[in-house]
Amino acid sequence: MAIILQLLFTGLGIGAVYALVALGFVLIYRATNVVNFAQGQFAMLGGYCMVITTVDLGLPYWLGIIISLVVMALFGAIFNLGVYYPLRHRSFLPVVISTIGASILITNLVLAIYGPEPTTLPGMTDYPGISFGAVFLDAQYLVIIATTLALVLLQYVFFEHTMIGKKMQAVSQDKEMASLLGINVTGMIMLTFTYSAVLGGIAGILVAPILFVSVGLGAQIALKAFAASIIGGFGDVPGAIVGGLLIGVAETLGAFYISVPYKDAFAFVLLFAFLLIRPQGIFGEKIAQKA
Amino acid sequence: MPLLELSGLTAAYGAVAALSGLDLAVAEGEIVTLLGANGAGKSTTLRCISGLLSPTGGEIRFAGQVISGLHAERVVRLGIAHVPEGRRVFPGLTVRENILLGASNRRSARAALARDAEEMFALFPDLERFADTLGWMLSGGQQQMVALARGLMARPRLLLLDEPSLGLAPLIVQQVFRIIARIRESGTTVLLVEQNARIALAIADRGYVLETGRLVVAGKPDALWNNEDVRAAYLGGKRLSEESRTR
Repeated sequence: MAIILQLLFTGLGIGAVYALVALGFVLIYRATNVVNFAQGQFAMLGGYCMVITTVDLGLPYWLGIIISLVVMALFGAIFNLGVYYPLRHRSFLPVVISTIGASILITNLVLAIYGPEPTTLPGMTDYPGISFGAVFLDAQYLVIIATTLALVLLQYVFFEHTMIGKKMQAVSQDKEMASLLGINVTGMIMLTFTYSAVLGGIAGILVAPILFVSVGLGAQIALKAFAASIIGGFGDVPGAIVGGLLIGVAETLGAFYISVPYKDAFAFVLLFAFLLIRPQGIFGEKIAQKA
Repeated sequence: MPLLELSGLTAAYGAVAALSGLDLAVAEGEIVTLLGANGAGKSTTLRCISGLLSPTGGEIRFAGQVISGLHAERVVRLGIAHVPEGRRVFPGLTVRENILLGASNRRSARAALARDAEEMFALFPDLERFADTLGWMLSGGQQQMVALARGLMARPRLLLLDEPSLGLAPLIVQQVFRIIARIRESGTTVLLVEQNARIALAIADRGYVLETGRLVVAGKPDALWNNEDVRAAYLGGKRLSEESRTR
């Protein structure tokens, strides 16, 4: 029993990171109807920002976080201007290819600057964690779960209870109508990219102390986050969160009970199972009606 | 000086001409209707006025100011609200949220907007009990009411209505048009695009008939309605015979 609880805790922690990146996928998809394949690279950049500020420059951790988030926000804005905005009137495919191109560019820039060696980031706190009998709650995992929970709540309040959140929803549902009402569509999309980049950056900052920070970090997280958003029902916000947590738990349980080397495969086994049995995802039906 | 004036307006979708030199004027306080068959350029005219489509030539003046080519977000701030064809109610937002977003062109306090929304529920009493219902769950008639209310929330001087009767039951159509007449009584100028010529001419002060992007004839509703050629060719004569055939 203790082992299962321990694994669930670990799974939810790593799943929360997938959920944050999946949330970025979903937000940009809903605002622009395009899948941003560089979303994982946002997480990688967040991790590297932390390494550069706190390890290389020796700045305090909190300052590193603030600088990293500002850098990610700026990066999101630049990404929008360079990758999405020039192609905004084009169809799905050119924009998707543009985001794939951007993701390759980002990966290789980091490779050129920082080299292929993985590096490490210390945890947010020296405090090791809490023990409940045989279950040990690691501090970094607690931070991840608490941060994700807070972000999800904050985002819910923002989208459901502020006028600007409603305007962003309006833009994601019908851009032409939104502009007819005087809503600044370009500005709202800019905001979406900025926020998604920050979200990805936070995921990277959170996960960096657990995984190695390397150029491969982005792809590793993005693939699972993408699977998570499909399992949840693509385009659905609660779906992305549930999907992310589900994958985190599945791969942790799978690694423990079945096979460690195949740890990364369980996410995709789960994805295939969903595609076969429930291709619309957990919350998929709601979207079909919305559309 | 007319409130809205189009002179020599031309527009195209790619290489296909949609409007070829349209002249039209709407005076303050009027209901003017644009009639014509599918593809005559009625919706295109509205899209040019509201800034969804950039005209390829000619000029649009609103209250003396040239607005052709301005972006839609700017046009609505000048006081032109466009209720497009198909109603376009935001499906994932509630009725109240849809209506409140109609005031996005204004810089008003939240309380003032909430008051205006209550006014809309007074004008469209059927909507009140659906205030917290999502857009996609509404019937066509309810969606049309929401679209009208959302348009009015912009406090427009000029309201552009595109096919408000489309897909609605006859009783609902009458209800919608009674409200349009009320909107004009409250001082808002209306430019109305309609397939249903009979009901449009019943509330309009003047009408224009378009054919393939050109103005064919303009005049008072009676004159248009009694013009045999116009009736047969553009005012649903064809449609009536088609309807009787399907019956």
